[in-house]
Amino acid sequence: MLKPSTLAMILAGSRVDELNVLTYYRPKSAVPFGGFARVIDFPLSNLLHSGIEQVAILSQYRSYSLINHIGTGAAWDMIGRNRGVSILPPFKDNNDCSDQTDWYRGSADAVYKNLDFVKYHKPEEILILSGDHIYKMDYRDMIAYHHKKDADLTIAFVQVEREKAHRFGLAVIDSEDSETGGRVTAYWEKPEKPEADWASLTVLVFKPEILYRALEENQQTGSFEFGRDIIPQLLAAGKKVYGYKYRGYWGYTGTVSEYWQANMDLLGENPPIDMEAWGLRTNMEHRGIRDAQPALILDGAEIENSLIYNGCVVEGKVKNSILFPGVEVGPGAVVENSVLFFNNHIGADCSLNKVIADVNSVFGKAVRIGPAGENEAEQVTVIGWNNHVPARTVIGEGATVYPNISVEQWLEAKSVGAGEVLK
Amino acid sequence: MREKKEALVLLLAGGVGSRLNILVQSRAKPAVPFAGHYRIIDFSLSNVMNSGLTKVGVLTQYKPLSLMRHLGMGEAWDFTGRSRGVKILPPHTGFKDSDWYRGTADAVRQNIDFLEKNPADEVVLLSGDHIYNMDFHAMLEYHRFKKADVTVGMMVVPMSQIYQFGAGIIDGQNRIIDWEEKPKNPRTNLASMGIYVFDYRYLLDSLYRDREEVDFGMHILPRAIDNDDVFAYPFYGYWRDVGTIQSYWEANMDVIRRNSAISPAEWGIRTNIEADGRPADRPPARFGNGARVRRSMISAGCIIRGTVENSVLAPGVVVEEGAVVRDSILFADCSVGKNSVVDLSICDKRVRIAGSAVVGSGNRHDVPNSKQPTHLYTGISLIGKEAAIPGGVTIGRNCIVNSQTGESAFISREVMDGETV
Repeated sequence: MLKPSTLAMILAGSRVDELNVLTYYRPKSAVPFGGFARVIDFPLSNLLHSGIEQVAILSQYRSYSLINHIGTGAAWDMIGRNRGVSILPPFKDNNDCSDQTDWYRGSADAVYKNLDFVKYHKPEEILILSGDHIYKMDYRDMIAYHHKKDADLTIAFVQVEREKAHRFGLAVIDSEDSETGGRVTAYWEKPEKPEADWASLTVLVFKPEILYRALEENQQTGSFEFGRDIIPQLLAAGKKVYGYKYRGYWGYTGTVSEYWQANMDLLGENPPIDMEAWGLRTNMEHRGIRDAQPALILDGAEIENSLIYNGCVVEGKVKNSILFPGVEVGPGAVVENSVLFFNNHIGADCSLNKVIADVNSVFGKAVRIGPAGENEAEQVTVIGWNNHVPARTVIGEGATVYPNISVEQWLEAKSVGAGEVLK
Repeated sequence: MREKKEALVLLLAGGVGSRLNILVQSRAKPAVPFAGHYRIIDFSLSNVMNSGLTKVGVLTQYKPLSLMRHLGMGEAWDFTGRSRGVKILPPHTGFKDSDWYRGTADAVRQNIDFLEKNPADEVVLLSGDHIYNMDFHAMLEYHRFKKADVTVGMMVVPMSQIYQFGAGIIDGQNRIIDWEEKPKNPRTNLASMGIYVFDYRYLLDSLYRDREEVDFGMHILPRAIDNDDVFAYPFYGYWRDVGTIQSYWEANMDVIRRNSAISPAEWGIRTNIEADGRPADRPPARFGNGARVRRSMISAGCIIRGTVENSVLAPGVVVEEGAVVRDSILFADCSVGKNSVVDLSICDKRVRIAGSAVVGSGNRHDVPNSKQPTHLYTGISLIGKEAAIPGGVTIGRNCIVNSQTGESAFISREVMDGETV
C-alpha cells in the first residue's frame, strides 16, 4: 500500500467576506448550498475525486456546525487506515509570551500553529484550499503540473472581468505553458486598480520545506495571510512560483447577492453547476436528511425550474427556487427566485420573491416579502434563522431580518421597509 | 438508561409474496420498494426501532440477497452498538441435507440456538410483509398486564376479507377463546396481523414439544388457546398486507392522498438509502420549465420535464418533455422518453421507455392477464426490472413485460390487453 503523499489543509474558519446573517452562527464554509449540501462539500468532493484522503480542516469561528457536518469524514471516504479528516481548532499553547494570542491570527498563522501536525504526516506536497468556493477541480492535474515545473509554490488562477478583479488576489502569468499555466511574474492582493485578470482561487500547492520556512519567517511580521503575505514574500525571495490556469465554473460567494447568483446557477436546462455530474457528496447524516421522506407535491402545486429535495411538502407555486429538506409551501403561496434552507414553513397565500431564508422559520399566512406580481426584485432579502414571521407582515426587498427576532419585536415592527434591518 | 432484559424480536422475512408477480422475481416480498425510497420491511424495522427494541433476528429464505444488502449492519435503524444488533438468520442444513423452513414455527424452531443465546422475558414475532405503524412497547405492557403466555395483535377487517387471515373469537376480557385459520364461513371479523408476543420460556417449550407443529397460526396458537392464556391486543389504525398488485398499488396511492392514515414521515420510518450500489447523495429533484406535477411523491435525483399526476416516483426517475405519467408507480432510475405515456402501471427499477410509447393504453381494464389472471385483473400493467420499451410501442391493460426484456422482443407495435412479453 502506498502511503498518501498529499496533505490537504482546508481554510474553513474565517469570517472573511461574511454572508450577512447567514454567517451569524456558522462559518461560511458551513452555509447550506444546492438544496441539500453545504459549501465545503465542493472542496471535500473535489478531494475525494482527486484521491486525496489526508485532510485537515482549520476552523475557529463557530465551528460547531462544521464539526457536526464533517462527522467522521466517511461521507467523503476519508476514513480508513491511511485516510482521515482532522478538524484543527485553535488551542492553548504553553508559550510564555503574554502578548501572543492563541487564536488563529490569519490563515498562515493557522497553518503555522499546526506545523507539528503537518510535519508528522511527512507530506510530499501540501495543498492549501479555501472551504468557501464552489467549483469542480481535479487537484491531481495541478499537482502534476507543480511537479513537472519543480515549483516551490503553484497557485490556481481563474480569469475574471477586470472591473470585478479588485476583490481578488491577482497575478500576471507568463506564457511558459500558455494553456496550462506559467510562471507568476507579479502578484497583487486585492489591488485598487487591477493590472491583471487572473484571480486566485485560493488553491495552493507548496513544497513542504518552502512552506515551513515561509511560515516561520512570516511569524516575525504582523500580518498572517497566504494571499497578502506568503505569496508576495516567496515572489520577493525569487522562489519558483507558478500559476495553474483553471477554466471551469467558479462560484465565489463573497456577498449575499453573489451567493444568491451561485444558487441560481444550479437551475435551468444546462446548469453551470451540475451536482450530479460533479459527483457532489455531502454528509447524509447531518440534519437527518437521509431519513427525509420523498417530496410530496399536492393538489394546487405548480413548480417550474426549481430544485426540491426530499422532505418538502408543496401545495403552492414554486418558480426558479431551491427548497431544502423539510420546507413546506402552503396553498396559494408563491415562492419565486428564492432559496429556502431546511425546515422553513411558508404559510398559505404568502408571497416570497428573491428571498434567502435560513433554517427553521415559520411564515404566517399571507406574509409578503419583496415585490408582488411580475415585478422583479433587485435586492435579495435575507431572513435569519428561527424566526416566526407573523401573518400579513410585509417585508421590503433587500431587507435583513436577524435570527431569533422576538414576538414583541415583530409586534413593534409590524413591517420591515426595503433595505431595512430588523435586529 | 437501559432497562433490564428487553424483548427479543424475530422478524419473519422469508415471504415469497408470489402474487406480486415480477416484483418478487429477484427479491423477497419484504424487499419490494414502496413509497419512493422505502422498502416494505422498513415499516416493521422502524416500528421495532421506534418501540425502543434493539435486538433483532431476521429470518430469511426466499431470494435474500436484496434484503441482506438492504439491512446491512442495521445502522439505518440504529441497531448497531454494544448490546444492539440485527442478525440475519438464513436457513441452514440440519439433520437432513435439505431443511427448508416448512412454516413459520418451523423457521423459528430451526433458529432455536439464536433464541437460547439471547435470553429475554418476551419474544416479539413479526412479519416483514406489512405496511403499518405500531408501538410494540405498548403491546408488551399489555402482555405483561394480562400475564399472558401469548398475545396476538388483531384488528377488525371487513367480513369479506377474513378468509385470508387467522380469525380469533374473544371474550369480554379480550381472551381468545377460539381460533379459525383462514375460515371459509367466518364467525368473527377480528383478524390476526401476524404479530405475536410470546413469553420467552413458553415459546421455547412450545417449539420443543412437537416438531410437527410447523406453523404458528395452524398449530401453535390453537393449542395455546385450548390450554393456556392467549389474549388479543386490539390495533386501530392503518395496516395493509400489500400482498397483491392491486393492494400494493392502493397503499402507494394512499401515501400521496391528503389526510390518508399513512405517512412514513410522521411514523418515523427509516430506510437504508445506500443499499443500491450507488452513492446516496442524489441531488434534489429537478423540475424543468415544462413540468406539471400534481398529487405525487417525487424522490431526490428525479428530473421532471413532463407531466406527473397521482404517481409515486422513486429516486432518479427521468420524465422527459411531453411525457405523461399518471396513476403509476416508478421504481428507481426509470426513464420515460419524450411524449410517452405511462398510465396505471408499475415499472420496476431501471425500466427504459423510449419516445412516443404508451404503457397502459385503452379502457379495457377488465381483460385479465391471460397467463396470470389472478394476479392482474384490475387494469394495472407491470414492467419488469431493466426492461426496454421501444419507441412508438403501445402496451395495453393488465400486461406483463418480463425483466430485462430487450427492445428486440417486441415483434409487434402493439401489446394487447392481458398479454405478456
